This record gives sequence, C-alpha cells and structure tokens, in this order.
Amino acid sequence: MNRMEQRLQACKQEGKKAFITYMTAGLPDMEGCKKLIQTQEAAGIDAIELGIPFSDPVADGPVIQAASYKSICQGTNLKGVFEMVSQVRKEGCEVPLIFMMYFNTILYYGIEKFVEKCIEVGVDGVIVPDLPFEEQKQFTDVLNAHEHAPIMIQLLTPMSKQRIPMILENARGFVYCVSSMGVTGQAADFHKDIRAYLKEVKSQSNIPVMIGFGIRTAKDVDGVRDLVDGCIVGSHFINMMEESGYDMNVAKTYIETFKQELNA
Amino acid sequence: MSNTYYGEFGGQYVAETLMNTLAELERAYEEAIADPKFMEEYHYYLKEYVGRETPLYFAERLTEKYGTKIYLKREDLNHTGAHKINNVIGQILLAKRMGKTKVIAETGAGQHGVATATGAALFGMECKVFMGTEDIERQHLNVMRMEMLGATVVPVQSGSNTLKDATNEAIRTWAKEAEDTFYVIGSAVGPHPYPKMVKQFQSVISEEAKRQHLEKEGKLPDVVMACVGGGSNCIGMFAHFIDEQDVKLIGVEAAGLGIETGKHASAMALGRPGVLHGMKSYLLQDEDGNVQIAHSISAGLDYPGVGPEHAYLKDSGRATYVSVTDEEAMNALSELCKLEGIIPAIESAHALAYLPKVTKDMTMEQSVVICLSGRGDKDAHTIEAYFNGEGYLN
Repeated sequence: MNRMEQRLQACKQEGKKAFITYMTAGLPDMEGCKKLIQTQEAAGIDAIELGIPFSDPVADGPVIQAASYKSICQGTNLKGVFEMVSQVRKEGCEVPLIFMMYFNTILYYGIEKFVEKCIEVGVDGVIVPDLPFEEQKQFTDVLNAHEHAPIMIQLLTPMSKQRIPMILENARGFVYCVSSMGVTGQAADFHKDIRAYLKEVKSQSNIPVMIGFGIRTAKDVDGVRDLVDGCIVGSHFINMMEESGYDMNVAKTYIETFKQELNA
Repeated sequence: MSNTYYGEFGGQYVAETLMNTLAELERAYEEAIADPKFMEEYHYYLKEYVGRETPLYFAERLTEKYGTKIYLKREDLNHTGAHKINNVIGQILLAKRMGKTKVIAETGAGQHGVATATGAALFGMECKVFMGTEDIERQHLNVMRMEMLGATVVPVQSGSNTLKDATNEAIRTWAKEAEDTFYVIGSAVGPHPYPKMVKQFQSVISEEAKRQHLEKEGKLPDVVMACVGGGSNCIGMFAHFIDEQDVKLIGVEAAGLGIETGKHASAMALGRPGVLHGMKSYLLQDEDGNVQIAHSISAGLDYPGVGPEHAYLKDSGRATYVSVTDEEAMNALSELCKLEGIIPAIESAHALAYLPKVTKDMTMEQSVVICLSGRGDKDAHTIEAYFNGEGYLN
C-alpha cells in the first residue's frame, strides 16, 4: 500500500470523508508552491493533486487554464516539478501527491523515464484526463512493470454508464467521479442524475469514491454525502490562492474548515 | 484499439465524458455510410447545392512552362469557395440523422466556420463557431459572413488565441453539450472516427479526379499533390489513389519563413509524435512537450499537428511530404493568377509551389494532378499586404 492508499484507508477506519485539493505546480513560484504543499499537509489535507501545466488543457475550465498558462510562462516544466517534489520529500513531507497531467507531457518525457522518476521522488498517483481506458495500456504496462509505481487514478463521469464495470475492474487508489459534464471549474450544479450515477458507482466499487468538479464548500456535497468517501476541490482553491496572493493562512483556514464541515 | 489507429497514429485521446459520445458517433456514421439513402442525399446536395462535380482543368500555360501535363482539380469552384463544404454537408446530414439540433465548429481562417454556418443555415440548425481572438481580428470578412448566415461566433481567448485554442474550446463545449450538439470537425484530425469520416466525405475529390483523368488521358496520373495543414483536402485527393502504387503522392506542408528559422507549420518535417486534439500524430512541440505555435502566411495551414493517416502514410513511405516557404507559395500564387487567370487560396498555392521541383525530371507524356483546394478571394488583403512589402496580416 502506498501513502495515498494508506491515508484513504485511515480515513475510512476513522469514519471520515477525505479531502483533496488541486493546485497548479509552479505557482506562485516553485518555492511558494512547496510552501503551499507543506501548509496544506499541516492543515490536514488528505492528498494533493499537483497539476503539471500543459499548453492545451482541454479538460480544464478558464481558472485552471489561466493558472497553467501563467505557470508555463514562468518557466514551469515537468523536470522542475520533479525537483521540487524531491526537495519537499527530503524536507519530510509525507502527504500523498498525485500528478494531474495531460498525456503528451508524459509521452514527451518518455513513459519509462517518467515512471522511474515518479518512484524516485515519491509521486503516489497520476491522473491523466485525456487518456481514457482504451488508450491506457501503453502507460499501465509500464506502471505495472515497476514496484512502487504511482497509481493510475480512473475517472468516471455521468456519461460513463455501461463503461463503469470495465473501468473499475482493475482500478486502484480511489475512483474520481466527475460531478457533471464538461470541464473543471463550473458552478456546483451537479448532473441531474447525480445520485443514481453515484449509487451505481458506489455499488460496484471496492475502492474509495471521490467526487470532484464544481465544488467550493463542504455544503456543495451535502446532497451526495452518503454516496461518496470524499471530495476534490480545484478551481475554487486556485481562485482563492490567486485572489489572496497565495496567503498561506487562507489555505490553512479553508482546509481546516472544509474538513471539519465535511465530517460534521 | 487497433481499428481506431493508422499504424501507431490516431486513437481516441479524449476525456472519459466523451467516450460514449464517440461510440455513438461511430455507430451512427458506420450505419449512415452503409445506407444508400444517406449517400444518395449526400450526393444530391453535393451536386445541386455545392455545384459538383468540379472540373479537372487542363492548365495549358502551366503545362507549357513546366514541360509536363498539369491538371488542376477545381475545388475552388465549390459553393463557399473551398473543399471544406464537402465534409460539412456529410457531417451535418449525419448530425440531423442522429437527431442533434445544434452544431459547433472550430475555425482558423474562417473557411470551415463559413462552410459550417452555411450547412447549418441550409438544414435549419443552431450553429456556434469557435474562433481565436487573433483570428477574429485578421479574418473580419469571414466573421461577418458567418454572422450573416446566422451563426454565433464565439471569441476564444486562451493560449495563443488561434485555431489550436479554438479547437480546445470546441472540445470543451462539446464535452458539456454533447447530448444535443454535434461537433463538426473541419480537418482530417481529432479522435477516431473523425479522421476516417472526414476522409470519406472528402474522398469525392479523388473519386472524381481519378475518373476524369482516365477519361482525358486513358491512364492514371504520375503524380498527385495537395497542400497539408490538418490534411483534409490532401487525404481527399489521395484517397482513391492510395492503392494505385504507381501514382506518386505528395503532400506539401507550410515551411513559413523556412524550416530552419523555427517559424513554420511543418509538423512532419520536424515534429515528433505527440498527442493533441484527441489524436496521436506528428506534432510541433517545445523542449517541455508543450505544443508549439505554428507559423504560416496561410491561416489554413497554420496548425501544429497533422491528421493521423498522413503520419502513417509518411512513415509507411506510401506518400512523400515536402514543404515550401511563404515566399515560394506567394510566387506560385502570383504565377497562377497571371498564367491561368485563377486566384488560388494561399493554402492551395503551397501545392502549386512544389511544381518546379516535381516536374524537373518529368516529360510531356506524364501528368500531375494538383488539388486547387480553395479560391483566393478571402486572402485579398493578405496578398496585397505581402506584395506591397507590408509583411503579413496572417
């Protein structure tokens, strides 16, 4: 079991819902990014999705697009993020880290080299939104050939329907349930059939079910709380950080409050 | 997996949200093209509305100059001024058959946007066209045309504010609205089944050209050429010749200011395999694997990737891909105006610009067929600015 699996299992044993945030790597700069990871860990975050900026983020809405663009313009690249992660791990950070990235970035870096580097620096999971199940073999073959390789997180959407069993079959870590159609960062109006969809997933999944897309406060998940093991906040968290000028106290308060309300 | 690929190229690199949409599209498409009624309707509109078939014109003065028979496939004579409409008619008829009421499209120069807006008007569908703010600025005439045709032009301000970003935004919107919306992709790119579908609907170009050439010459041409951005007119021009091993196939990419300057759009000259817009293909990328901005005087060739079947045809050696610079293309454009009285689109002029090289060792007993994919009216301002030495508008 890796860090991420252990943490989610611990949540389950304590009867708690897990909370994951998404942040764009390299913002406000590499040093600030490292500090934000450490701040979140101290505030009790269960895992952090670290977005590797890409020039053409088709699964993302305006907030993450803008953040990615800004980060690229500041010179952020995969190599630099690996260095930062390596550093933060050396400084004792044990929070589960999940890379959220587009497939081209992995392909260009080299799949084999990418997986080895993830193991070396301590990346626990990978989410690749433009690599659907049918295209995953080229990547999972390499992941499966390495011990301690990061876990590939599977995504499900309200449109997945008959695809759910196939996608869940070998899924590990947790399953990422997208709350609505479309891209990240839309308002929290979940798909009209959200409960039926989550029920379907929950009944078939033997790993934690996390919901994401369009969530801002713990209240947003009230209507589906009984069907999920936790939730993920991305665009809203980035907005807050950008607006506060990456005020670490804002991040700390937000995470503490969210976790508390989520488990109230 | 294999039937979505051309060798190692192609595939379906899209978000999970779109996988069932693509499956639904593929089923509907396969059923439609196997249905004689659907194909009949498609050909009816191509004939009565688009004005097909287009002539395979024997270019007498070009022939005289280059010492080999030169034929031009006149796609510029289609309604709306380019080959784009062939594909749009096919896709919109399919959208209608699938019960969709809205269409969306991406556009760079605006030609595909205009063709889609035209098709949407013809079949009474709601139409949104995504266009980068840069392109809206420099292609004002086409923005006006789309609006006159009843389409909404949605400005896209992200990344480089051009075609690549407009395509990203169209994909995002499609993911949100796929239930009632059909995405009309304009080139032989995107996730499967788009490259296959666009080829099918553009293959009418070579179906006609092959027959016309046989009628005129009693044999197949020696060389078939077309320009390549995403590659839709080119794959349409190649389609019926791919199995004719004696016919040499040449695709001409845009070398912009020169491949060596880095300011070009030749994905196959210097690109390496990558993933963009739902497909794996040759792609211009920087040293971090981000997509590089393409550069060409021709907005229609200004695309960092290329259709997956072209990547496959290149690797398998069946087709050859070359590139010509802005300057060579503009000289060829000027030459066609003066020798044949035809103002070609700057895109199409790229194919013409390779004539001096390809005809060098050819004789009067041989022939070249070139796809004249579009007319140059839309480029009047760019052409004027270029020849006045004002640099580019594009």
